[in-house]
Amino acid sequence: MSRTFRLFIFYCTRAFENEAEFAEFPTAADPALEIHAVPMACSSMVKDLFLLKALEAGADAVTVWVCPEGACRHGEGNLRARKRVQRVQSLLDEIELDGRRLTFFHLAPGDRSSVMEILREISGALVRMGKNPAGIRKDRLEKTGSPQQNILKKPKTASKPNLDKGEPIHDRR
Amino acid sequence: MIVGEQKPIKEILKMTAPHHKLLVLGCGTCVETCFAGGEDEVAALASLLRLASRKDGRSLHIEEFTVERQCEDAFIAEAAEAVARNEAVLSLACGAGVQAVARRFPRFRVLPGVNTTFIGVLEHRGVFTEECSGCGDCQLAMFGGVCPFSRCAKKLLNGPCGGSRNGKCEVNADTDCAWHLIIERLTALGRLNELRTYVPPKNWQPSLSGGPRRLIREDHIL
Repeated sequence: MSRTFRLFIFYCTRAFENEAEFAEFPTAADPALEIHAVPMACSSMVKDLFLLKALEAGADAVTVWVCPEGACRHGEGNLRARKRVQRVQSLLDEIELDGRRLTFFHLAPGDRSSVMEILREISGALVRMGKNPAGIRKDRLEKTGSPQQNILKKPKTASKPNLDKGEPIHDRR
Repeated sequence: MIVGEQKPIKEILKMTAPHHKLLVLGCGTCVETCFAGGEDEVAALASLLRLASRKDGRSLHIEEFTVERQCEDAFIAEAAEAVARNEAVLSLACGAGVQAVARRFPRFRVLPGVNTTFIGVLEHRGVFTEECSGCGDCQLAMFGGVCPFSRCAKKLLNGPCGGSRNGKCEVNADTDCAWHLIIERLTALGRLNELRTYVPPKNWQPSLSGGPRRLIREDHIL
């Protein structure tokens, strides 16, 4: 089994501004981390589905980085993000996938030492928890597209039926 | 609208365990508004079920589909092809929707993924309150548009009971006293004297609750 851990970081661009830094993190914090970063204009954009899809797409851990308490430019984005993360953590616990695979941190822009500390903390937790037993295998992942593409895949919804047709509807099996 | 909440994931996992091909069928009306069974909830639940099955090494193929309303046959028919491709349907509609889907597809097992809770209103984001018991004999005109059957904990038709404090119910201090609201409304309408008319006992089945129920989705409120 590969020793590499895949980490998805959903981050508010106000909490973490320098996207280019992500490339340096594995070397600086833990070379075993393979980081996939997903920027958000506000952390309130994070949804339970995105976090779950990240785990489905092969993430061993997912972390959400938001701006400091009281500093959200939209007022309550980081508070909403925290509640959503807490809900998904409890769902992961319920399916015994371990809610600790999902973490949440407040970050001030430019606080590089906290970033390093967080990454080392996640890396240490991953060594204890091991790889995500529900993550998609890498060979399948290559066939189905990138992790980011998997997260954003849309489900099917019925188009509105034309009720004026007045045709009888039968089970089409 | 009909208010419901998704069943605990462990209950859903137990129900769906015998099946290897499952359609998670959403409903885009009431249960979407209360975050229990709309398109987003279908996708999130399907994702969670996939994670759980992979973790346990179980083979499970999940298809996702959402119709406008599961309580109307014309809308349900849109899902016929998706149903045919699967062994069972996990419906995220209210109880009426689950039954309508089961009726439409009698050869398929249809499982409920939502606990239907009450008929209510969106009080504010994430908070839903029961305001109708569906008694089949609406007398709201007599009570200024406030239903004492569903909103008074004692279901008094000739209130108030005298136990309310600062407009709140003595049974549950989080609940507005329905009779306080009735008197306020009728006073504003200049029709308070209508309460002098005796309202005879109503023949209705005993309620299952001690007052209006409330569903709180903690992750949607601040």
